[in-house]
Amino acid sequence: MNPHSCRYWSEAARSLAVVLVRLRFVLAAAAIFLFLPAGAPAQDAAAFFKQNCSSCHTIGGGRLAGPDLKNVHTRRDRAWLKQYIPNPRAMMDRGDPYALKLLQSAQGVIMPPPQGLTDARLDEILNFIEAESKSGRVWGGGGISDRPYTAADLVTGRGLFTGTTPLSKGGPACISCHTVGTLGGLGGGRLAPFPQYDLTRVYERLGGRKAVGAWLSAPATPTMQALFKNRPIQTDEAFAILATIEDAAANSGEADAVPLLDFFLMGLGGAVLGLVTFGTAWRTRFRSVRGSMVRGELQRGEE
Amino acid sequence: MDVRSQIAMVFHLDKCIGCHTCSIACKNIWTDRRGTEYMWWNNVETKPGTGYPTRWEDQNKYAGGWETSNGDLQLKSTSKRKVVFNIFHNPHMPTMDDYYEPWTYDYQHLFNAPEGSDQPTARPISMVTGEFINIESGPNWDDDLGGSPVYAENDPNLAGLTPEQRQQLFAVERLVFFYFPRICNHCSNPACVASCPSGALYKRGEDGIVLLDQKRCRGWRSCIAACPYKKVFFNWSTGKSEKCILCFPRVETGQAPACFHSCVGRIRYLGVLLYDASRIEEVAKLPDDQLVEGQRSMLLDPFDPAVIAGARANGVTESTIESAQKSPVYQFVKVWKIALPPHIEFRTLPMLFYVPPMSPVMSHMEEKTKEHNSEELFHDIEEARVPMKFLANLFGAGHEGKVRYALKKQKAVRWYRRALTVGDVDLAVALRMLTEADCTPEEADAIYKLTSLCSFDDRFVIPPAHREEAIQMFEDPLEHKQGAGFGFLSVPHRGM
Repeated sequence: MNPHSCRYWSEAARSLAVVLVRLRFVLAAAAIFLFLPAGAPAQDAAAFFKQNCSSCHTIGGGRLAGPDLKNVHTRRDRAWLKQYIPNPRAMMDRGDPYALKLLQSAQGVIMPPPQGLTDARLDEILNFIEAESKSGRVWGGGGISDRPYTAADLVTGRGLFTGTTPLSKGGPACISCHTVGTLGGLGGGRLAPFPQYDLTRVYERLGGRKAVGAWLSAPATPTMQALFKNRPIQTDEAFAILATIEDAAANSGEADAVPLLDFFLMGLGGAVLGLVTFGTAWRTRFRSVRGSMVRGELQRGEE
Repeated sequence: MDVRSQIAMVFHLDKCIGCHTCSIACKNIWTDRRGTEYMWWNNVETKPGTGYPTRWEDQNKYAGGWETSNGDLQLKSTSKRKVVFNIFHNPHMPTMDDYYEPWTYDYQHLFNAPEGSDQPTARPISMVTGEFINIESGPNWDDDLGGSPVYAENDPNLAGLTPEQRQQLFAVERLVFFYFPRICNHCSNPACVASCPSGALYKRGEDGIVLLDQKRCRGWRSCIAACPYKKVFFNWSTGKSEKCILCFPRVETGQAPACFHSCVGRIRYLGVLLYDASRIEEVAKLPDDQLVEGQRSMLLDPFDPAVIAGARANGVTESTIESAQKSPVYQFVKVWKIALPPHIEFRTLPMLFYVPPMSPVMSHMEEKTKEHNSEELFHDIEEARVPMKFLANLFGAGHEGKVRYALKKQKAVRWYRRALTVGDVDLAVALRMLTEADCTPEEADAIYKLTSLCSFDDRFVIPPAHREEAIQMFEDPLEHKQGAGFGFLSVPHRGM
């Protein structure tokens, strides 16, 4: 190798290194993209079910907010299911009788379409449900105790709901987005969509303690999933929160519009108070000299 | 003793004809830029009148200047505590309506208007919004007593006059006014400098000119509220304040400021005063009736060896000391005592002094002929058309003594010169009047000469600026000597 080519190669290697350094973020992203989806399908399907479906569905554990999925493959064929699951609302709008029946039995709650559901994955999930139905294993539906709540539960629950006691895994307190009838004052948050922000009658909507408990263990809406995926609510915390909700259902009406009116009136009062305070503090402030002087003199002239 | 030098000024109001040439000279040089249209660093007011901005002398409204409370000197408009609460809204800020909305006319319409049965007109257009406006006021709206029932009668200096005096002031045949040209007073205790939260305003060490650093100004506008003479203005286009700079680029090159140079009545005098800066606070705290005398005592005799030594110790140059010895201002203010500071009760200790004006001779109609009220050539000072109280409010912090002294001396000088040049009055009477007015024939001659026969060099004794020394503090004047090319004022930045 002559000296010229030697220099050429070293230069080429250096420029390649420079290119690699510049592209390092792109390469890293590509690597993640390429290698991440690979994994055992069955294990993946189970995890996905737990994360996305178990908040409303069980396999052999009975009805929650949604129906028990045991032997769902015998009730509807694969083609119908694959059409329904990604977009339930479309089927109902089209007037599919079975879909409407489901809507009725869920008391009007429509299933939120699961996030990140590809065609292949849907097949995996359906295979998984079919396999688990045949094996007779029970998935979901347990965990929340059936015992009546106590005064102590109420105190804990109220603390967790209002955020005075933080959730142990660091999830945000319920009051950030929700309210119940017993909160009093201006009530809680109203960030969640109507009517879900008011949790007083949530049992009627989702179907009892078991269903709501399951929901809390793995919330399925995009917003709640993002918030609680890595910071799940623990079972004992969920029980205490449910106690608060049950207490509200038993002891109060729905959180109605009165706090909103209060809020408006308080704002109005605050604004008036603020203006009066500022007006007093700056009462010697500069006011128009020339304009008022000329107007005053002109008025005097007319008299 | 802390001797400092100050370029001070005297305006001789008895000579002002109210032609506004000074205002125009200033406007054309300094304030014809966007955002400055409404500013008049130099303006001429008619007194009695409300001036510009309207009723600026009323500090109950404008809260300018200083006040003494519990033996302390405090700004009326702000303080370190107040500035925190008022940081986003200064409560003493005049509005544009109190100055005036500057305008031009739609001249193009005169040429472009479609043919019609009437002559086209040029409607006034706001120079701020660009829209047609109805002109409601201007910087000298009350000039020559225009709109008197509104403007002249609201002059704050009329306070303390009897209703009878007020009525007489505006009665036909007795009606009187005089002119009051105003620029920045370049005060020795400037409220604007004290109020600035950014430290943008400063009083120049070598000549006491008060300047506003455009780079440091952050547009808080505390100076605008604090200046009792309302001579700091806010440029709404640049978002920074501006003020009279006493044409320092002209002064540094030995020329008189534009308004001084252009004055057709030759009413303006400019010269150096040496003063004792260590006494500023003490003088500014004096009770109203002692303020004029207090400020005079602060001004130092430039011939006194102790003063000269003190000046040298403070770095005042020989040429400045020499200039101070020839200063016409020193003569008017300290030696003859006929020039007085305007509204010294604002306690900023202005370094611009006014010779109060003599009123016109009083006359009345008698059987279709005009008769002088007084048998004598000049009327009695006490019976002047402008009441003494009015001039005292303007130039004596409400106390008549100093004003009466200045007017008596001026009248005596007139009598004396009349006796010498015309001879129709008795010289013995004139000399007696001089003695009564605390004046000698020599002094009377000097006053006469500097008032009537003054040349350019008599009026403006401008000290050499020695800019080369000032520059040496910041950069080496020989830095670029023998260097190639023209060099850079600021070094260019290269690279990423």
